[in-house]
Amino acid sequence: MKKSFLLIALVGLTTFSFAQKKKVTTSATIAFDASTKLDPLAVAENKTAVASLNPKTGEVAFETVVKNFAFSNPKMQEHFNSAGWMDSDKFPAASFKGKITNLSAVKFNSDGTYTTSVTGDLTIRGVTKPVIATATVVVSGKTVTTTSAFEIKVADYGVNGPAIGAGKVATDPKITVSAEFK
Amino acid sequence: MIKTSVKKHPWFKRILIVGMLLLVAGGGVVWYIFTDTFSDTTDRKAAFTVNAMDLLHEFQQNDSLANRKYAEKIITVNGRISELEAADTTVNVKIMDTLTDAYIIFAFQQQHLAETKGLKEGDSISIKGSCSGGTYSQILETVFVTFKRCAVNQ
Repeated sequence: MKKSFLLIALVGLTTFSFAQKKKVTTSATIAFDASTKLDPLAVAENKTAVASLNPKTGEVAFETVVKNFAFSNPKMQEHFNSAGWMDSDKFPAASFKGKITNLSAVKFNSDGTYTTSVTGDLTIRGVTKPVIATATVVVSGKTVTTTSAFEIKVADYGVNGPAIGAGKVATDPKITVSAEFK
Repeated sequence: MIKTSVKKHPWFKRILIVGMLLLVAGGGVVWYIFTDTFSDTTDRKAAFTVNAMDLLHEFQQNDSLANRKYAEKIITVNGRISELEAADTTVNVKIMDTLTDAYIIFAFQQQHLAETKGLKEGDSISIKGSCSGGTYSQILETVFVTFKRCAVNQ
């Protein structure tokens, strides 16, 4: 009886420790959609973002190499990385650092889908701006999957290319971030 | 109106034809630029063929120099798979320097996604892809180098 109790306590403690440990992935996906009716090509995806989630504190972060956004069209990719746009030679990385504000709503040791609110700072082209977004957290065994979609105003980050003025690229592209933590 | 101008001024007809030809050619160029897609990486010639650890060391020693040398170039990297990591519905291949935790990560081109299925951690591999350069990760506190549109180099 005593042994069984100790075993249950040990299993419980291990599960709790796992749930509380900071989780990291180096294959988070960030999708970027700035397409318009005039130009559907301003769409890209980056599948090598680094992301972290601390279930204990609710801290979340992601960062990525800007040049690893893959477009289908070579000219669009060239424009995206140029000085007038992301200026990725000068600013090779983009990052986000924030926190889940309603952490008590997520039970990391219990399977389920939880809706959370995340606030933090997004840095693009060396400019940092606050972002508030809704994120979905799915807990399935030891795997935690997070997904969030939000819009940004490119002008806030100093992006003012002529294509935006001409309506070929959206002024407020949609960013979707998803990460699977094991 | 145009007919009258052509009759009065024969050179007007030539200008009209040249103008129309330029318009068609311009339209063709624009059409080509906007419908162009990246070619299959296996058909591209690699600018460099490097050992994974040597490439990582170059980025660790001087990332500005390494980025200038390798970014947006097709590179063949030879190494041993450290990890296969799920990336949405696909799988990325990761080669890591176990001493520093610095790593290279390869995202595969759409038509080459299936090539990751037979791979295992510890396998020797040769991968060709478009190097996007590297940077220092504030989250991981190490250097990482990223590749896109990769294919297993046969």
